[in-house]
Amino acid sequence: MSNLTFTLKATPKQRIDCGPLTPDNLADKPLAEIAAIELVVGKSTVRVDALFELAEGDSNTIVFANSDSKLDFIGRNMTQGNILVEGDVGAYLGIFMEGGELAVSGNTGIYTGCEMKGGQIKVNGNGGDFVGGARPGRRNGMTGGTVIVTGSTGARTGDHMRRGQILIEGNAGDYCGSRMISGTIAVLGDCGAHLGYAMKRGTILLTQMPSRGITANFNNCGSHTLAFLPLMFASFKKLESEFAKVETFSRVQRYAGDLAGIGMGEILVKI
Amino acid sequence: MIINGVTIDETFAEAFPMKATRLIITAHNAKWAMISAQAFTGFATSVIACGCEAGIERELDGNETPDGRPGVAVLIFAMGGKGLAKQVETRSGQCVLTSPTSALFSGLDGEKDMPLGQNLRYFGDGFQISKMIDGKRYWRIPVMDGEFLTQEKTGVTAAVGGGNFLVLAESQGQALAACEAAIEEMRKIPNVIMPFPGGVVRSGSKVGSKYKALNASTNDAFCPTLKGQTKSELPPECESVMEIVIDGLTKEDIDEAMKVGIQAVCGLGAAQGIRRISAGNYGGKLGPFHFHLQEIMA
Repeated sequence: MSNLTFTLKATPKQRIDCGPLTPDNLADKPLAEIAAIELVVGKSTVRVDALFELAEGDSNTIVFANSDSKLDFIGRNMTQGNILVEGDVGAYLGIFMEGGELAVSGNTGIYTGCEMKGGQIKVNGNGGDFVGGARPGRRNGMTGGTVIVTGSTGARTGDHMRRGQILIEGNAGDYCGSRMISGTIAVLGDCGAHLGYAMKRGTILLTQMPSRGITANFNNCGSHTLAFLPLMFASFKKLESEFAKVETFSRVQRYAGDLAGIGMGEILVKI
Repeated sequence: MIINGVTIDETFAEAFPMKATRLIITAHNAKWAMISAQAFTGFATSVIACGCEAGIERELDGNETPDGRPGVAVLIFAMGGKGLAKQVETRSGQCVLTSPTSALFSGLDGEKDMPLGQNLRYFGDGFQISKMIDGKRYWRIPVMDGEFLTQEKTGVTAAVGGGNFLVLAESQGQALAACEAAIEEMRKIPNVIMPFPGGVVRSGSKVGSKYKALNASTNDAFCPTLKGQTKSELPPECESVMEIVIDGLTKEDIDEAMKVGIQAVCGLGAAQGIRRISAGNYGGKLGPFHFHLQEIMA
């Protein structure tokens, strides 16, 4: 059976809240009912079939074709199933997501994986700012699950992140791991300025020393062989990611910080 | 039933329900994994006074362990879940955490979980680090040789303890040789341990004692020096009896272990001084698991 497909008819002028279009919400709904769902567009609401061409199919796998960076909240609260996005997406991709898989072939806007609790998001492009972060004023970012970004991320990746993992195959922007509470951010490329700014706990794992170095707020704890790293790399092997191909290493230089705060976070750099 | 001149008694071993878990101890090399495992399973021959029964199940090579290092699988049994948790915690803390280069993992997904490193983490005095990997929580506890890595929880499963058989021989040396042969084969069976020293116990017990303070005392019916003093189970030519006790995750595991063990003993046969195989029971009224020797060897 083919997938339930929403093909965007035209480039939207206003932002569209696509949050209702998840496998959970659309399960067992006839196509006519799905077509009649009202989506918030700007300050008004518009029927789904006025925005998208619909192709009937299995609602457990939803496809957004011809997607645009104005499509927000895709995968909101989803607990199971798959969403495939062909093109770019807007803000809050996978917000509050608890399970299932979400894949995007283009770039994402801000707050990808915002406050997600489980499941997997794969961005086959660049992630915006605040990947895995918390909404403004909220104290916990993502609390579980995995975000994979094959490109680079914007600023404040993992802001207030509490659990889960963010795997960045490219570069991480400024303030990566800012205010991080726990969890793991791994970066195969370079990192921007202020790495681990106000980081409380958690791990930032790097395969190379950042071009800007480690900030003075982190103290060098020396070189070590850490037993948990082989377990972590073994868990990466099942992912469709460059991280699955990384040769397992356990020798790292350990930096502890941010010492302006409680200083229990760590930056581990492969040696 | 007679096998190679050895009489298999028409009797049964009586065993009890227990709770068990399997732990995997790894280290820098096989030598130190074994040292840690031996410490963990020390003084764990009988629940009567040790609080648990534990033993080494087998050695593991690097591709069988979570962290890719050499390891040892140990099984630990207790009469209840609470007692098991207490024993696991104290033994892990004193024997594995302290052992150079060690790491400790769960080796069993049971019906329920119980703490493994969940409380050991406090040894880290606030410097401990939690890591969720593949849905399982691990604790990294800073120690003087680096980091002690341990899984937070391990599974608990219902198990069976107290399977046994007795080897009746013409001499002490022959009984020991037969038991050694049995243990060598039984150690190849998964999911079982033989918790007594070297897998063999020479002081089998009966329930009760003439002394009120004791719950168990020497099994006088099988003591060769008492043949003329008590209601003995031994023939005149029998000079030594040794027992092998088996704890297993299931009744079937113990069945299999008893079978290969008795086969090994019978392989030596009457020619090597082995006269009979018997078993210890309490009349069938105490333990719900009965291992009938002749059925197992049929």
